[in-house]
Amino acid sequence: MTQPKSTEYRGQIHQRQKELMLKWYQRLDSSAHTGLPPSVSLMISGNCVELLEAFDAVPLYPEINALQLAIRHQSLEPILAAEELGYAADNCAYVKADIGSYLKGITPTGGKLPRPSLVLCNFVGCNTYVKWFEHVAALTGSRLYVLDVPFCREAEPSPADIAYVVKQLQELVSVLENITGKKFDYDRFREAVRCAAEVEELWSRIKHLARRSPSPFDAYFDAITLMGPLYVYRGSPEGVAFFRAALNELEEKVANGEGVYEQEKFRLVMEGPPPYPYFRTFRDMFAKWKATAVASTYSTVGGLWEFGDRHDPDHPFESVALHMLSQNVTNRNFLQRYDQIQRYVEEWQADGVIIHFVKSCRLFSAGQGDMRDYFTKSLHLPTLYIESDLEDPRYFSEAQIRNRIDAFFEALEHSKLTGAAHPAASA
Amino acid sequence: MRVAAGVDVGSTQTKAILMEENARPQIMARALVDTGANVRKAAEHAFHVLCQEAGIHAHDVGFVVGTGYGRYNISFGNAQMTEISCHARGAHFVFPNTRTVIDMGGQDSKAISVGASGEVLDFVMNDKCAAGTGRFLANAAEVMGIRLDEVGPLSLQALQPVKITTVCTVFVESDILSYLAQGKKGEDILGGVHQAIAKRTVSLARRVPIEPAITLTGGVARNIGMVRALEDVLGAQLQVSPDAHFIGAIGAAIFALEKLDRSFESDIWSPEHAPHGRN
Amino acid sequence: MQQVLEQCEQIVTDLSLASVRRWKEQHPGGKAIGYFPVYAPAELIHACGMLPVGLNGAGDRLDLQHADARFGSFICSIVKTTMEMGMTGHLQPLDGLLFSSICDSARNLCFVMKRNFPQMYVDFLHLPHNPASHASVDFLRSEYQRLMLSLEVLGGEAPAQGALEHSIALYNRQRGLIRRLSDMRSERPHLLPASELYLLVRAGAFLPVEEHIALLDRALEALPDRAAKPRDNIRVIVEGAFCEQPPLDLIRLMEQAGCYIVDDDFVLGQKWFRQDVTPDGDALGALAESYVEHSVYSSVRHDFRRPRFQGLIEKVRRHRAQAVIFLIAKFCEPAYFDYVLFKRELENIALPHLLLEFEEKMFTFERLRTEVETFVESLLFD
Repeated sequence: MTQPKSTEYRGQIHQRQKELMLKWYQRLDSSAHTGLPPSVSLMISGNCVELLEAFDAVPLYPEINALQLAIRHQSLEPILAAEELGYAADNCAYVKADIGSYLKGITPTGGKLPRPSLVLCNFVGCNTYVKWFEHVAALTGSRLYVLDVPFCREAEPSPADIAYVVKQLQELVSVLENITGKKFDYDRFREAVRCAAEVEELWSRIKHLARRSPSPFDAYFDAITLMGPLYVYRGSPEGVAFFRAALNELEEKVANGEGVYEQEKFRLVMEGPPPYPYFRTFRDMFAKWKATAVASTYSTVGGLWEFGDRHDPDHPFESVALHMLSQNVTNRNFLQRYDQIQRYVEEWQADGVIIHFVKSCRLFSAGQGDMRDYFTKSLHLPTLYIESDLEDPRYFSEAQIRNRIDAFFEALEHSKLTGAAHPAASA
Repeated sequence: MRVAAGVDVGSTQTKAILMEENARPQIMARALVDTGANVRKAAEHAFHVLCQEAGIHAHDVGFVVGTGYGRYNISFGNAQMTEISCHARGAHFVFPNTRTVIDMGGQDSKAISVGASGEVLDFVMNDKCAAGTGRFLANAAEVMGIRLDEVGPLSLQALQPVKITTVCTVFVESDILSYLAQGKKGEDILGGVHQAIAKRTVSLARRVPIEPAITLTGGVARNIGMVRALEDVLGAQLQVSPDAHFIGAIGAAIFALEKLDRSFESDIWSPEHAPHGRN
Repeated sequence: MQQVLEQCEQIVTDLSLASVRRWKEQHPGGKAIGYFPVYAPAELIHACGMLPVGLNGAGDRLDLQHADARFGSFICSIVKTTMEMGMTGHLQPLDGLLFSSICDSARNLCFVMKRNFPQMYVDFLHLPHNPASHASVDFLRSEYQRLMLSLEVLGGEAPAQGALEHSIALYNRQRGLIRRLSDMRSERPHLLPASELYLLVRAGAFLPVEEHIALLDRALEALPDRAAKPRDNIRVIVEGAFCEQPPLDLIRLMEQAGCYIVDDDFVLGQKWFRQDVTPDGDALGALAESYVEHSVYSSVRHDFRRPRFQGLIEKVRRHRAQAVIFLIAKFCEPAYFDYVLFKRELENIALPHLLLEFEEKMFTFERLRTEVETFVESLLFD
């Protein structure tokens, strides 16, 4: 009897990613016990981890905390604890899981998480980010700094937008000096920005490998798994080494013509976060149809680099500001996301789009019905709309989601097999 | 002569259709049984009744496609297709000019945009709550002490339909009781209930392009009050077949005939195949 | 007074925006700019010779037939009814729409409307969330500059010299009158029920500010002569209904059930500044500075120099309130988040509070009535 083919990418890089993240948790545990290194809470999207790197501060990412809890099926208990405190059923479950885990002393690895020296809210579009960190600051008594990043309301950030963010970054430098007791090391900062630029180049090339047919990795499920080092190690040599190794491994797969499945039947663009409590199950629903994601919007929350943007070590403050302003998916406006997806479909050659509406996240989900309307009626793209939640295990109807996915692929398969281009896909 | 069957295992009823193909596909027999608690048995029972009706043996049936929520529990099935695909195909078989299907079942409702060959172009489903489904009507009927098959005709007599805005099947009961206490007429209350369901269903349906001709399928299609209410809100006529609740099984049977014909290549997953994969 | 109130109710419930159409007839070529909650710099719109129109959803007067398909579940009603108004042509008298950074759903709504109504000028104002930074006033000033330039392009002409100062003076006057009415309501709540103050204030969202000032003046004059006896009601603050608005009947119901609503955050945008805006030379800068330094606390504005949960306690003390009723729109994320910290502070000072959830499209209130009555009883018969 043949071994069932694995439905997920498992190379050396997967193992290496686990090691790096574990090392990061150990640093946090050390910080919790000794106060060193100093820790700074930070949001993933549009983060300025390079600045923290310059102060040897370790980033604490509550979003990673939340998603790790969900993946390990530990998210319900903290969510319930938060609801007992008064959080509503309709509040973002990421926040509830994180706050609840703090209240109950639950951590994904069992180690301790430090009380942050600074709660730094990089406000990049997501208003929930601000509430989240206000609450963390109120509950822990930590100092709060909200770095206000103007939203992408026009095509490009204006000089006034950039100047505003740069001034706040400079204020932040003083705050960090105050908290860590260290003087700002401008060269260290530039070096971190230089590492970031290199990491971004590597990550972008990895993303572009998915344009091949077959794609050597799943740009949704695998990309999400590989994203952790992007936020934690982007400004460090370890990050560069990791992504260099990842690129090498994936290029080798391309050279061998290896795809994710033995046959790449469908190529998809995925929009929206995954249902973390059912990550594996959700993946299997697409694996059944040998459908590979070749691009995803969620994998660009930490940074959108496949279209050429990079940090610039010659203008470190300005490029960090630009990254926070317009080079991450959450601070870009809804219509820019339509364009992003359309570009993926065209340049990465996808057969259709999967829109995953998540109850918790209105930034991603509010208005996805209009997105669907645009894709189907104006672009004639096969589009599937499914709903669940990213963190709360109570909002996943497996049979119903599976039903919708099956119906979508039945139709897509039929159109491929009958030779006609999908009637809705005629362009 | 090729014979194939489609079995649609719904939450309340299981429908089966036997089809033969000489020059064109034709329905040979129909079977309708209550699903009850044992899905497997219900499917087998329906199939048995179907074969009896047609006067043939089970092994004469060349291919069986199962659909509906219980489709993976059909012990004798050769393949499964979702009810979305089957409703599109089935409606198209009955009314070849179908370009939109609105299906109102026992516990879910859906709208399907259908292509010229009966293929699914786009679809939307409400399976989160019972508003806009047969359950909503059944609850209303029960609260008012009226038989389910009477609610439709009665609703057509409404002169001043009441306003019902709740979308919750449970809460609508208290709204109805409140209206009864106020002395509102039964037909006005039912008129309001039908209007509310129609609005909700059409609001859902508008997520896909609504093109004529529109075919209404599912058990609720037998309710004349619902048909009129939907036509009112849509501003368009609806096609309803006497076989409205068999549409899913008809579509499944059509697919079964096709698979018999063409040895259709596909990786449709079924419980028997899973452990070995299709490598 | 009765006449004034009826006129206000008529204006506030009119989906056809008749008052806007009337203004446009009187000002041929004039533009009307709608703004979504909570705050918008109406002075800027006015200074450009345009009419600012405050949008606040369609209440229960519009069935959602199209907007549901665009927005899905778990989204508040006001986002959908605003979209529905657009899709059914009700926003036709408006030439532009302004949104700002209040929450994730509203922000996405802005851009969905931008795509669907390309004939309108649709813009998003980034109001600052780091007032502690010295850079935020300059930034907001540049943002207001950007808005004014866009309005100039839309309207075809630049505002006259001194126009902004003049507009600021008018809106100062309007806000001053609203403050006086609010004070009167707090001091002598039997003379001015919250539902009536609500109508008086909200009418200003649809009327030219000059007309609204005249209306408020008339109301203030008529008030002291009203014959009304104080009742044994409990003094409550209502918090949380700053965007999607509760049905008028719900506000009336709360007062009938035994509450004097001595302060609230309904139509908060029109009571946004705690003091007058003083344009010393740089009017635009003064307006920006007022936003950063003199805004009231709100669930849609971050300012940890004066955390809003402390602001609530101050409000309770200032109005000698005996309780707080959190009146929160279904699915309103900002309000539900703030509730947790507000609740904690109130528990610290052992002040009774009640949480009520509403939707703008409600029209039967049996359950809510029971909850409020029970709450009032528990306080009166302690």
